[in-house]
Amino acid sequence: MASPLSHALSSSQYILPPRALLRLQALAPRRRLRPQATAAAVSAAIQWNRKPQLAGETPRVVVVTSGKGGVGKTTTTANVGLSLARFGFAVVAVDADAGLRNLDLLLGLENRVNYTAIEVLNGDCRLDQALVRDRRCPSLELLCISKPRSKLPLGFGAKALTWVVDALRSRPSGSPHFILIDCPAGIDAGFITAIAPANEAVLVTTPDITALRDADRVTGLLECDGIRDIKMMVNRVRTDLMRGDDMMSVLDVQEMLGLALLGVIPEDSEVIKSTNRGYPLVLNKPPTIAGLAFEQAAWRLVEQDTMTAVMVEEAPRKKGFFSFFGG
Amino acid sequence: MTSTTKAFSFLPFQSIFPQVISIRDVKGWNLKTPQSFRLGSRWLGHTRGESRPLILVRASGDALDSSGDSERAGDGTPVEEEGNRLDLERKLGSLREMVNSLPPVVIVIKRNSGSKFAIALCVAFAFLVIATRQIMLKRKNHYQGSVADLVRRGQLRSDRRGISKPLKCDDPFHNPFIKFGKGDSRIEMFGKVYRLAPVTLTKEQQSVHQKRRSRAYQWKRPTIFLKEGDPIPPDVDPETVRWIPANHPFATTASDIDEDVAQHNVYQKHGVPFRVKAEHEALQRKLESLQSEQKLNEVALDLNNIRDFERPFKSSMKPQDLEPNSSANQQNGHLTLKSDEETGTSDSESLSDELKKY
Repeated sequence: MASPLSHALSSSQYILPPRALLRLQALAPRRRLRPQATAAAVSAAIQWNRKPQLAGETPRVVVVTSGKGGVGKTTTTANVGLSLARFGFAVVAVDADAGLRNLDLLLGLENRVNYTAIEVLNGDCRLDQALVRDRRCPSLELLCISKPRSKLPLGFGAKALTWVVDALRSRPSGSPHFILIDCPAGIDAGFITAIAPANEAVLVTTPDITALRDADRVTGLLECDGIRDIKMMVNRVRTDLMRGDDMMSVLDVQEMLGLALLGVIPEDSEVIKSTNRGYPLVLNKPPTIAGLAFEQAAWRLVEQDTMTAVMVEEAPRKKGFFSFFGG
Repeated sequence: MTSTTKAFSFLPFQSIFPQVISIRDVKGWNLKTPQSFRLGSRWLGHTRGESRPLILVRASGDALDSSGDSERAGDGTPVEEEGNRLDLERKLGSLREMVNSLPPVVIVIKRNSGSKFAIALCVAFAFLVIATRQIMLKRKNHYQGSVADLVRRGQLRSDRRGISKPLKCDDPFHNPFIKFGKGDSRIEMFGKVYRLAPVTLTKEQQSVHQKRRSRAYQWKRPTIFLKEGDPIPPDVDPETVRWIPANHPFATTASDIDEDVAQHNVYQKHGVPFRVKAEHEALQRKLESLQSEQKLNEVALDLNNIRDFERPFKSSMKPQDLEPNSSANQQNGHLTLKSDEETGTSDSESLSDELKKY
């Protein structure tokens, strides 16, 4: 079996720039890496200033779920969706939470939602009229299921969402590359509605035991429903607490759930600020740490890749006497 | 002794440029004609090293000296001239004092020759910073036409244009904020230091977890939603029933939507939406019916007007004659009214003609 380090090096889709990858190769034993190092070096060289290569059949219908509320599903949907749109892919983000709609708030589009899927079903408007295009990034569109205070016939919800996805696939302007469905919390009718048309799932969790238990249950339900491509995104990671052994590490989380890692998002106060502004994190310049992590997760989602190494915080190295001179 | 003072000002100053100083009628020198001599820079150069090189300057001449007076402009005010002379002397004295204070500074500078180097270095650094800033600003403010904004907004493709930069997506894996250590797997990012820890999950471990979950969670997707308290239909699997509380704020089991119509609405790509069209048609029908009702009312009003005209005609006839015919008239009137209603026309003239017969 290849050593973990060589396994990490064999995948080029991590946070390291290519120079770091090449230096890590120098550390690893050469014999094992020789056939793989060339591939890693080549792919690392290609990675500079390129667009991610879309894998899988379009449209890729991805449901973002968690089970537990408040772990960052809507934030993940907004930021990953906008990152995908910035990469040049056509994205439709669907807020499948019928009663507690929030995705429009995070995207800053709350004043532009005039029609929802309920109006489409009733015949008050067409589907293209209910889609709200983001002016900052025109390839991103938002569709809300219903307005607050309106009741959705739940026996009908799963069918309705399936028709909507099918109609988007066959629309005259072309099928979108990605349809991201923001799932409501819980495992009730809203969850069933949201997962109905999905082919793959992104499970958002935080490194605490309550969220992990709910995430495990949701994973079981998704697998029972036939969704096998499930990737995990660990949100609100506090590396300082992990260093002090007060929070489970990302590897511990992975050991508990047994799911491939799509991304690790560190705790960032900019998340709250971006929510207040209606300006997703990934648009910040200079980029924030969480924004970078979201972009990388979006890249991996496009290429159907997963993380092969995680970053563990260490204490900063103490500078010696000669550090002033570069020692 | 003449009242005039021989104003010999010894001005210890250094001058670079040659000066022309006229010396006029200096007594004691027995010079009757103005003479000028030049103070060459050469002489000054020789005298520069000296602490006090002197240059003789003569103020204007003797009042009693008629020869000197004759060369003047001829204002003839010796008192004023003396006053001017005194002012000039004062000014020269102050200038002399100022100049006397200069040498010590020069000497200090000469002593601290090392600071010259520092000063020169600072000046050179300042020039370098200014020049660099100018270059950076020039690069930043490279003017692009407004068509580049169209490319940026996605209205025009950038690859067909030679003048604008193509859109670049930032590579999140190559970011200047991430710094990696030399010789080890350390990464510095946003002020913190990290190291890489490889993921240890294998395919076997993944399949073990999947088996565990399939044993723990036996779940069937619900196909029917019932209100709490409703009976389960006989042919429905109880495990596929999802119960909805009766007072759920956002969910309902009642479905007023026709499924076929709803599906058609979702797949509609062009034209007016179904409900809007239906409402529009309903409104049109209502409008048409209102218009037809209005027309009927207008017809009824016209017939009433005709009856009004009939009254004076009827009043001229005898009441005995009118009585047997009144019923007939009424009948005839009704008949004609009915025919008018059917045809939708009102012919008051034909009615009046018919009525005239009777």
